[in-house]
Amino acid sequence: MSAVVSPIRKPLITGNKTYHQITEDLISPTEKTPTKAWIIGFIIAVAVATYGIFCIIWTIWVGIGSWNLNRTINWSWDITNFVWWIGIGHAGTLISAILLLFRQKWRTGVNRAAEAMTIFAVICAGLFPIIHMGRVWLAFFIMPYPNTRGPLWPNFNSPLLWDVFAISTYFTVSLLFWYTGLVPDFATVRDRAKGLRRKIYNTLSFGWTGSAKHWQRWESLSLILAGIATPLVLSVHTIVSFDFATSVIPGWHTTIFPPYFVAGAIFSGFAMVLTLMIITRKLLKLEDYITIEHIESMNKVILLTGTIVGVAYLTELFISWYSGYVYEQFAFFNRALGPYWWSYFGMMFCNVVSPQFFWKKSWRRNVTLTFFLSIVVNIGMWFERFVIIATTLARDYIPSSWSLYSPSWVEIGIYVGTMGIFFTLYLIFVRVAPVVAVAEIKHILKTGGNQYVGENAKSHTHHTNEH
Amino acid sequence: MSQYKMTASTRNVLFGAIGLGLVCMVLTWFGDDGNHSRFWSNFLHNSLFFTMIAAMGLFFNAAGITAYAGWYTTFKRLWEAYSMFIGIGLIFLVILGLGNYFGWHHLYHWANKADVETDTILKGKSSFLNNNWYLFGTIIFGGLWAFLAYRMRQLSLTEDNHGDSSFKYHKAQRVYAAATLPVIGFTSAAMLWLWLMSIDAHWYSTLFAWYSTVSAFVAMIAITILMIIFLKFNGYLSVVNSNHLHDLGKYLFAFSIFWTYLWFSQFMLIWYANIGEETIYFKERYNNYPALFFINIGLNFLVPFFALMRNDVKRKIGSLVFVSVLMLFGHWLDYFLMIKPGVLITAQHAAHGHEAATEGAAHGVEHASNFVAGFTMPGLLELGTFIGFLGLFAYFSLWILSKAPLVPKQDPYLEESIHHHVI
Amino acid sequence: MANTQNTELIFGLYDDEEDLLRAVKSAKKDHLEIYDVYTPFPVHGLDEVMELEESRLHIAGFVYGAIGTLTAFLGMTWIFVKDWPTIFGGKPYWSVPAFIPITFEMTVLFAAIGMTVTFYLVSGLGPGIKNPQLDDRITDDKFCIAFDKSIVNSGDAESFFKNTGASEVNSKNI
Repeated sequence: MSAVVSPIRKPLITGNKTYHQITEDLISPTEKTPTKAWIIGFIIAVAVATYGIFCIIWTIWVGIGSWNLNRTINWSWDITNFVWWIGIGHAGTLISAILLLFRQKWRTGVNRAAEAMTIFAVICAGLFPIIHMGRVWLAFFIMPYPNTRGPLWPNFNSPLLWDVFAISTYFTVSLLFWYTGLVPDFATVRDRAKGLRRKIYNTLSFGWTGSAKHWQRWESLSLILAGIATPLVLSVHTIVSFDFATSVIPGWHTTIFPPYFVAGAIFSGFAMVLTLMIITRKLLKLEDYITIEHIESMNKVILLTGTIVGVAYLTELFISWYSGYVYEQFAFFNRALGPYWWSYFGMMFCNVVSPQFFWKKSWRRNVTLTFFLSIVVNIGMWFERFVIIATTLARDYIPSSWSLYSPSWVEIGIYVGTMGIFFTLYLIFVRVAPVVAVAEIKHILKTGGNQYVGENAKSHTHHTNEH
Repeated sequence: MSQYKMTASTRNVLFGAIGLGLVCMVLTWFGDDGNHSRFWSNFLHNSLFFTMIAAMGLFFNAAGITAYAGWYTTFKRLWEAYSMFIGIGLIFLVILGLGNYFGWHHLYHWANKADVETDTILKGKSSFLNNNWYLFGTIIFGGLWAFLAYRMRQLSLTEDNHGDSSFKYHKAQRVYAAATLPVIGFTSAAMLWLWLMSIDAHWYSTLFAWYSTVSAFVAMIAITILMIIFLKFNGYLSVVNSNHLHDLGKYLFAFSIFWTYLWFSQFMLIWYANIGEETIYFKERYNNYPALFFINIGLNFLVPFFALMRNDVKRKIGSLVFVSVLMLFGHWLDYFLMIKPGVLITAQHAAHGHEAATEGAAHGVEHASNFVAGFTMPGLLELGTFIGFLGLFAYFSLWILSKAPLVPKQDPYLEESIHHHVI
Repeated sequence: MANTQNTELIFGLYDDEEDLLRAVKSAKKDHLEIYDVYTPFPVHGLDEVMELEESRLHIAGFVYGAIGTLTAFLGMTWIFVKDWPTIFGGKPYWSVPAFIPITFEMTVLFAAIGMTVTFYLVSGLGPGIKNPQLDDRITDDKFCIAFDKSIVNSGDAESFFKNTGASEVNSKNI
């Protein structure tokens, strides 16, 4: 990390902070009694989550027949929601890992919350395939272990099993990465606390002392975890795309799916990070740490990935014509002009057209517009998965088995419920842990701009040049 | 020394390389079949490979500017110089485009009017796969790239002399950089379908354009490392140190893995779904070019993966040069494998005249199983041609470099780049 | 670092990491053996001036990853070629491309879990562990150098802290 900072860079931390001020700003939200807004939000989230859990129990009790799937459209909202959530769960590791490797320092403002979001999104995502199994009490059959049924092994050639491995690995590694980052910050919370709270946070902080050797290993671990999380995060959505692309179904089987799903995942993940961070920075007063520069940088990523997704849409569309393969051509004709044309146009508008607003600098820096568009993007990414899954299945090879689909109240309930689960977990997280990585912010305070005014402020360039 | 000056010996070596390339091309021409397939396919192969490297230089410079990257400023002139080669590459590709009209070569099956008439699939594609799209696509889209490259370099040069603390030239570069990304993003896919994918005229893969782009990108990074080390050995670019090389090494490593990922995605999906229209591409290569098929993966994945995994290797000049040379050659081979099998089928098809037309590609596969010089394996003539083009690319880049200071003077990130330090 | 009992430490607190770096350098120059240095965040360049050995975690990570690769690949090979050969979708028993995704995931999983567990074990950190705390402000904004009193005598330490600009000097038994 270069100590010399270009004069053209904007500060990443504003408000002339000292180290102690950072601690105050970032730790105190966990120490105060919850605000009214938080309590109301929490009650709503828990209520929605409870309804979702009721719908899940209903599904398990009554059976998958309570959903509106049929023989033609045998995957729909369930897998759409699964892919949607897992896509959202990509931003955290992306911000932490890939931006770390690309040395984008603005990541420090948002990585903690984004990683938390990742973990919660993956939890929501994982629910869907498990419920979808029908007999959830036999879900452990997917694990390969010597058993008394033969032993009968799962099918390692199946992309669905690859998913099991990919998502459980992704969840585990994200959790380790996130928690290892949290340990020093929990120690900071601990050292400001008394009594039982101190005991709890000491357990959470694993007895962290801040020893130089520990920091050295901690940095090394973070860097390597970031290094291996980078291909991992690519592999997860790649393998999700394999669920479709290894098939021979026109519209599913296309080689661009892996990188295109990954780009789409980053796209929706960043949109969700923006949605959450814009609320969080406002409510927790973190405007000095998550600045307009951060929002602008994230909007650039949205623009970039939205355009990549656009290239992929057009590539698919073009190659379907180019292939000369009538079923492939029909699949795309059906997407754009079939009964679900509105979802195709919704997808095109929300994902490709709407991010183009961000070409304009002042719009990239407009918080209200960003907030609005971040939601639009997530709606668009939901449409994308719906287009790929339901629309494609609705019109298959045999016109006599063509069908239509609309969700039952149970399916809608489960989807809405996962949002309740997601927000419940997120709201607990903002109460328990610092939302912005304290140690990492302190680490970049002096190099992240000209706002530092503490001791050695003026001379720091000179000294750091020495070594 | 801030201004590069080409020494007589460098010039002689590069002219020697270009001369060798010319001799090899002439020899290829005369020892060739009636349609000069070997000559033309070598010409296409190298023209395209180096044009794509040049385009990647432009693309990555634009990406860096857009992402506010500061580390590479000390050697960004290299990428600016590469990007100017787009113009030269386009001349070659325009020659190929004209060749379609005048029947100079038989590289593209779709350019054969008689075959297209009897072939439903080719007929279906003929509104895209045709001579006009090829030539005017090359001129218009490629010309746009060349224009953007020229503007970006001009702004960067103007900044040297007229830049001040308002950084207005850098900010203007940002505008061009932002425009470059989608322009290349969209048009390179279309052009790669025409230049490259349409060689196997029946076959299609949506991933193909991205795959071949990344292949050229890795080669671009390799050639950058080699060029920096060359300049440093000649006493230039003293501000570029092992930290910058370390980062370039990381890029070489990371994008080699990314290339492998794309290779695997494309291969595995086609292998898994097992649809005849698609498997034909890999079947042809796996059955008739098995050595190249495995060398391609081995060289372009295993070598950088194991050689560049350790951090200290990325800072050692010797090992970096070794890996970079292999990567440059490896991705050249990758392009070889993308181009040659399809050209051979078309060539044999053309040579056998129309009695084979009805049997289509299957006929060609049968013939391709024999060893064909210059196709089954790159021979000495191919290597010579490669060295010739490489010499041309290096000479041209160095010539461009000699026209301006090697290190941009007023770039806002200059100090950051000079003090770049990898953890 | 180690949790040896009844070590008497004398430690100084600094207000800024640059003061700390200078102090560590001068301690090295005076051949004062540092017990440990504690900081609120990873200070860039500290491991160099303390002459800490490079962490070998990455080597461990490579080994764990390789174990994961082999476990997954050989496991699937044994299961599908030897234990229960089955044809899926007309593919051969030993269908290597289809084994790659799981092999990759297991490599990452083994490497990540292995390294993280190793990190906590060798650092003596973990849930329920109570490491001695020298000062609560070390995790906030103080930078601390500690000497073992049985190795460095208090007088030397105190004058060292005074000369290097420590804002506070304290002692503690741990």
